[in-house]
Amino acid sequence: MTSPPEISALNARGRWPPPDGPRVAIVGSRRPSPYGEAVAEQLAADLARAGVIVISGLALGCDAAAHRGALLGGGVTIAVMGTGVDIVYPAAHFRLAEEILGAGGALVSQFPNGTSPRRHNFPARNVTMAALSDAVVVVEAVQGSGALITAEAALELHKEVMAVPGSIFSPLSVGTHALIRDGAGLVQNARDVLGALGVGREVLDDPLKAPRRLGFELPGERDGILIHLSDVLTVSAAELARKLHLPISEVLGRLTSLELDGAVRRHGAGYLRALRRAKERA
Amino acid sequence: MLATVDSCVLAGLEARRVEVQADSANGETKFFLVGLAATSVKEARERVRSAIKNSGLAFPGKRLTVNLAPAEMRKTGSGLDLAMAVAISLAESGGRVLERSAFLGELALDGAIRHVDGVLVAARCLKKIGYQRLFVPAIDADEAALVNGLEVIPCGHLAEVVAHLRGGPQIAPKPFTDATLESTGSDVEPDLAEVHGQEEARRAIEVAAAGGHHLLLSGPPGAGKTMLARCLPGILPPLELSEAFDVAQVRSLLGDLLPGRPIDWTRPFRAPHHGISMAGLIGGGSGYALPGEISRANHGVLFLDELAEFQANVLQALRQPLETGRVTITRSGGSVTYPALFTLVAATNPCPCGWLGDPFRTCRCTPALIDAYQRRLSGPLLDRIDLQVGVRRVPLAELASEPRGEPSAAIRERVLAARTRQLARQGCLNAQLRPSRLRTLAALEPGSRHTLERWSERKGLTARGFHRAWRVARTAADLEGAELIADRHVLEALGYRLHDVAA
Repeated sequence: MTSPPEISALNARGRWPPPDGPRVAIVGSRRPSPYGEAVAEQLAADLARAGVIVISGLALGCDAAAHRGALLGGGVTIAVMGTGVDIVYPAAHFRLAEEILGAGGALVSQFPNGTSPRRHNFPARNVTMAALSDAVVVVEAVQGSGALITAEAALELHKEVMAVPGSIFSPLSVGTHALIRDGAGLVQNARDVLGALGVGREVLDDPLKAPRRLGFELPGERDGILIHLSDVLTVSAAELARKLHLPISEVLGRLTSLELDGAVRRHGAGYLRALRRAKERA
Repeated sequence: MLATVDSCVLAGLEARRVEVQADSANGETKFFLVGLAATSVKEARERVRSAIKNSGLAFPGKRLTVNLAPAEMRKTGSGLDLAMAVAISLAESGGRVLERSAFLGELALDGAIRHVDGVLVAARCLKKIGYQRLFVPAIDADEAALVNGLEVIPCGHLAEVVAHLRGGPQIAPKPFTDATLESTGSDVEPDLAEVHGQEEARRAIEVAAAGGHHLLLSGPPGAGKTMLARCLPGILPPLELSEAFDVAQVRSLLGDLLPGRPIDWTRPFRAPHHGISMAGLIGGGSGYALPGEISRANHGVLFLDELAEFQANVLQALRQPLETGRVTITRSGGSVTYPALFTLVAATNPCPCGWLGDPFRTCRCTPALIDAYQRRLSGPLLDRIDLQVGVRRVPLAELASEPRGEPSAAIRERVLAARTRQLARQGCLNAQLRPSRLRTLAALEPGSRHTLERWSERKGLTARGFHRAWRVARTAADLEGAELIADRHVLEALGYRLHDVAA
């Protein structure tokens, strides 16, 4: 492992050094399942509400969801970048970066201004993320994912490493399950993370004890298309039609109707149960 | 002596009359060919000379001039050979050509008459401008015999033709073949009964066939996209007589008709490779453009596999034909218009490696790569494809346990009924309905209009997307025999669109 740079040696935009408080890195796949994305956002929002500073890498997928969640939870979040702090990568996250700064967070980088994205810079960035955090939570990661580099670095730096379980059928959870098998703490909700840090238990509401439930009670949804849908693995309309003994045209229509109500999402050639997003919480 | 014989050259699907005049006069023994002849026609001099001599006829040992009139029109091709040889022979020996007769054919050096392209096109046009008799190569006589009211003389050898004209042994005309009496071609396409599972794509194909909608299939390699596309012609009704003629004319121009079976009732299915050039797909060539794949697919199916791999400019050129059902190409010789009314079936992988969204295998592409790949597909072309469905791969082990589908014949019945409804109501298929006509012809129940509006509000549907769903909903209603478009039809129609895969 390349040794992490000193905090004082980092370039930063925004408030730096950050305010006091526990710092948790939430990392994961750049192309998560809808489940992973929802988990990253929800977890970040809950942790932010408990006063945790959420650190992530400003990348697509889990990273962006974590930053977004932290902002929704009204917290401070730090983006550790693999480019110079003056170059937002991917460019699509320009607004997200501005929002992070606007909410009192920071964009930091060990690379000089003007450094453009280079493949070999990102592993070093992942190490820095671990160094800046008290704990690292891996949300979804395939084998060999960059998120696992962060987790490994955290172990070597004697930081807490935790992971979110997923479906055993999902390739995106292979990395996280491997971490759990090797002793990483299992994360079901923000309380688990706070417990591992030994802080802030009392801040959180009780509902975090129980697994989150889907927030939809839909009129007319008695024949249970939703029952046959998963939030991680896609199901095709054809499979549903067979299970429900309905014509395919009808199933397509019903799925579209559910999609219109926000209860179902499309993913590739299949359908997923939509997950309630953090901002939709009361 | 002077002799005049008529022939024609083709400009697209039109025939232009050419008068071939031969004059033999006293003077130095020479052979002049005038009248703006392209190289292929100039070469005819040599063929004609040899063919006449080898047919045991006399070649004028004088100053011979052959003029192709009108002189300002450029002439290409070898179809004028026969007319030239006949004109020269008659100029040498006397004899009259019957009125309103035309000659078409290429000569071999021994005097045999060879095939030329476009005999059907020539026959139809010449009939239209008043010709009564057409001398054609014997091998092409089947084509010409499809035209009613035209006496078709099949010519095997130049000697026979000249003998016929001089009142010697007569060649028996080829009788008119009534195409409507020809039997319907046997079904050679794969049958949908052979497709296991894939209910969603099957339904989309049925809707596409019923309403004439274009279709995009997106899915990993081996999902069966090609097989599904190949099933489409089998659930379309057989060609109408006029359509069969349109198809045969394009094939005739390209010399692609089967001898002895010029009329085919099965819908064309064309699947050009993605390396195809603009000229190959749209039509092209020097002089007058020849029809491309889109015109060969006229009244049938154009299947573009690996849509993202086609050159961008080639795909862009599809826009006009998709909109108007024909294509106009201008080349040095002039503009020609070919029909190109086809159902487009496009297939694509969701990403470069193909496995994005597959439940069993992980995609290895970077997000930027996927983005770039899908951007290649998006835009104006995709905007014109009414139906977009994802196709999932069925693992080989599970294939046998997937339910077998309905056979194509049963689906074709429903498609036929739905098409009949549309044609009776509006004279065209739903896919060709413009927004203004949608409003009058495709009334929405109040509830279904609300659904459509709610969707476009929530999901940001473009005006084009809105009308697309509306048209498809009309077809779904027609398949059911429903007068009004109900909510379920709109909902089904909205389901035929891809999210995050080339959206």
